Amino acid sequence: MDEHFCPQCSRILALGRHGDFFAFLGLPRRLVIDQAQLERRFRDLSRQFHPDYFYNASPTERLASLERSSYLNDAYRALRNPISRIEHLLAIEGLPPAKSDEGTAKVPPSLLEEVFELNEQLDEIRESRESGADPAALRERLESARKPIDLKREEHEREVEALSARWDQQQAEGAASDRRATLDALRERLLERNYINNLLATIDREVASLEAQTRT
Amino acid sequence: MSGFSRTGAEDMGKVVGIDLGTTNSLVAYVHDGVPHVIRDGAGDALLPSVVSIGEDGTFYVGREAQRRLLTAPSRSVYSVKRFMGRGIDDVRDEAALLPFTVGGEPGGVVRIGLDDREFTPPEISAFVLRELKQRAEDHFREQGEFDFEVDRAVITVPAYFNDAQRTATRDAGRLAGLEVLRIVNEPTAASLAYGLDRRDRGIIAVYDLGGGTFDISILKVEDGVFQVLSTNGDTHLGGDDIDRRLVELVLREIDGSKERSAEEIQAIRKAVIAAKHDLTDADEAEIRVDTLGYRRRLTRGDFEQLIRPLVERTIHPVRQALADAGLEPSEVDEAVLVGGSTRVPLVRRIVSELFGRTPHSELNPDEVVALGAAVQADILISGRREMLLLDVTPLSLGIETMGGVVSKIILRNSTIPASGREMFTTGVDNQTSVDIHVLQGERELAADCRSLARFKLRGIPPMPAGLPRIEVRFQIDANGILSVAASELRTSIAQTIEVKPSYGLTDQEVERMLIESFEHAQADIDARLLIEARNEAETVIHATEKSLRRPDFAEIAAADLQPGEHERIESVLDALKQVMAGTDRDAIRDRTHDLNHATQHLAEVMMNRGVREALAGKNVKDV
Repeated sequence: MDEHFCPQCSRILALGRHGDFFAFLGLPRRLVIDQAQLERRFRDLSRQFHPDYFYNASPTERLASLERSSYLNDAYRALRNPISRIEHLLAIEGLPPAKSDEGTAKVPPSLLEEVFELNEQLDEIRESRESGADPAALRERLESARKPIDLKREEHEREVEALSARWDQQQAEGAASDRRATLDALRERLLERNYINNLLATIDREVASLEAQTRT
Repeated sequence: MSGFSRTGAEDMGKVVGIDLGTTNSLVAYVHDGVPHVIRDGAGDALLPSVVSIGEDGTFYVGREAQRRLLTAPSRSVYSVKRFMGRGIDDVRDEAALLPFTVGGEPGGVVRIGLDDREFTPPEISAFVLRELKQRAEDHFREQGEFDFEVDRAVITVPAYFNDAQRTATRDAGRLAGLEVLRIVNEPTAASLAYGLDRRDRGIIAVYDLGGGTFDISILKVEDGVFQVLSTNGDTHLGGDDIDRRLVELVLREIDGSKERSAEEIQAIRKAVIAAKHDLTDADEAEIRVDTLGYRRRLTRGDFEQLIRPLVERTIHPVRQALADAGLEPSEVDEAVLVGGSTRVPLVRRIVSELFGRTPHSELNPDEVVALGAAVQADILISGRREMLLLDVTPLSLGIETMGGVVSKIILRNSTIPASGREMFTTGVDNQTSVDIHVLQGERELAADCRSLARFKLRGIPPMPAGLPRIEVRFQIDANGILSVAASELRTSIAQTIEVKPSYGLTDQEVERMLIESFEHAQADIDARLLIEARNEAETVIHATEKSLRRPDFAEIAAADLQPGEHERIESVLDALKQVMAGTDRDAIRDRTHDLNHATQHLAEVMMNRGVREALAGKNVKDV
């Protein structure tokens, strides 16, 4: 757990180089967290760091307050959301970020079937739209094309939850190699998730252009 | 506990909270833990945010300036908040409808012409702030306070104000001689004022529709921490727009083709505002412009039909803010109304529909923001920790990358203070500087976002292209204002950054304006003192001449004056009249004094005569 104030003189400490949001917030390095505890820690630390309370302090302390508050806000934002929490864990465990283009470049093997199906349907819908088909009917077809992807996403979320719980378990008692395998699996899931989100965004764009066409 | 407890030797003056509004501005302070709005001599809390310049160069602020909107519209500026931190290209359309001159170079800040001088919006706002500062100081002096000087303030801005608009507001404070402790968002300030009474937990939605801006903020309150979850809004939507619709209605009906003078437009504007206010309680009102012989009845139904599209423009931002907070409307525990325009019944109905509950309006919607600003000021100087406000940045911050695409560095609705960093490198061998374009907004392309500033990173050590690793750090402080620092990581050399704000003033410009405003302030005082000296001189001249011109003066002089006394009075009188033609204030005062002195005996003689005459005309019985 991080020290935020000098133990001798109780002055706020300069932030320096930092990396671990869990340690900063005084929380165990776990993926399944107690949301209420996170909120409480965030509020408590805000009450200790916030620039409001350093208005009369020395410039050094004011800067430390500003940097520590900013960092606290970053930490809270990252840990509040389960996905960004995993991203942060991967980073501090030394894995490359899952945000890169690698997720969108090639289709993840587990999604091949869905992607093939969807692309085929989207092509057909676009063609019908250009040849002036009834927008309401096309809208329905888009909705039904979306269903399998939505299902996939739900299934995917359950997998992420299960993996997160497994990592917590291994972190408490497991061997380093098991933990690493789970982290790799989590990273794979995040890449897939990016891909699924892109697919859903593509469908949304189709819906939007359909609506724009209906209006004119 | 006093709001002005001393926590350091440098705390000498008073601290206030200021709501610098589009239409009206207010000042408030905390006494014994309770915020109070400071009223003027006439009991008014609202200071109209209007500045006017007289023919003699005298500045008028507030009510008097507002009156002058009718008589000297081209010399009077209102709603200047709409121009804060903006460029002429942003405001050209609405500027065309305004009676005062709005100019400026393309790509630069707006400049407002008053008489033969030009002012930036922060300079105009500084007049309003100075007036509020004066009002507060008068109040503290009357209270018998020894340290009555007001030197620091918390000033509020719409939550949806961007960096340039916030910086312009801070500049206005500096120009008015105030250290701006904090720029606070208006809806958040309002929630502090409301939260004073009930410090329990829950989700609050603050709907703030003012004179020129609309804000929606969703807050979570727990353990005295007021945490903003999301904010949204429109910095160009408010009561002004309602007024404009009504003015356009009248113009269409009286003869749309005819060009109307600024005086006529202002007369119409005043009449429609009065009708709008009447329609808060009445079902029907009259728009009456006597100078144009125009009268019209306006039902609330007509009014609502006319303004409904405007009010409905607030719906989308509310939905977006709720979505960003991850909440359904039903999860909002309390909706709070802020801003004068929330008095409009249609606005209240729409807010009730949006949240499925009757909104709160116990506190005066005009005053609640200033009260909250005072509470925040008190928190800052007293160090009390029962309450803490955690606000967010309303717009994402990014930089322009290849192909004019924006790369986001700090996302909207991030709690502030917030920081972000981005790596840069060079594209050419031995390149020693890099240009960086900072933008604010949600769109993908730089051209669609707000340009905040262009930075030039200098002093990069010469290296092959792509080798330098320059880290640029962006810091948004608790005011929502950005600062930037950079260093080259391989050599650890800190880079100097040259900032060119796109729609703001550089520090040097603010400094120059400060000096100018002192010079002008001196000139303004000089002008006023000269007028006073002349007035006094004229009074004495008039009284003297009145005596000298009496038909019986020769008789009086022979009887009561000393030899040569009449001649002496005449010569001193001539001397005073001579200096009256010039502008030497001291000479006028000296000669006035001489004349007063020279006529002292004459005045006594006249008075005695007057008494004798009065007595002579009456019976002894009546005395």
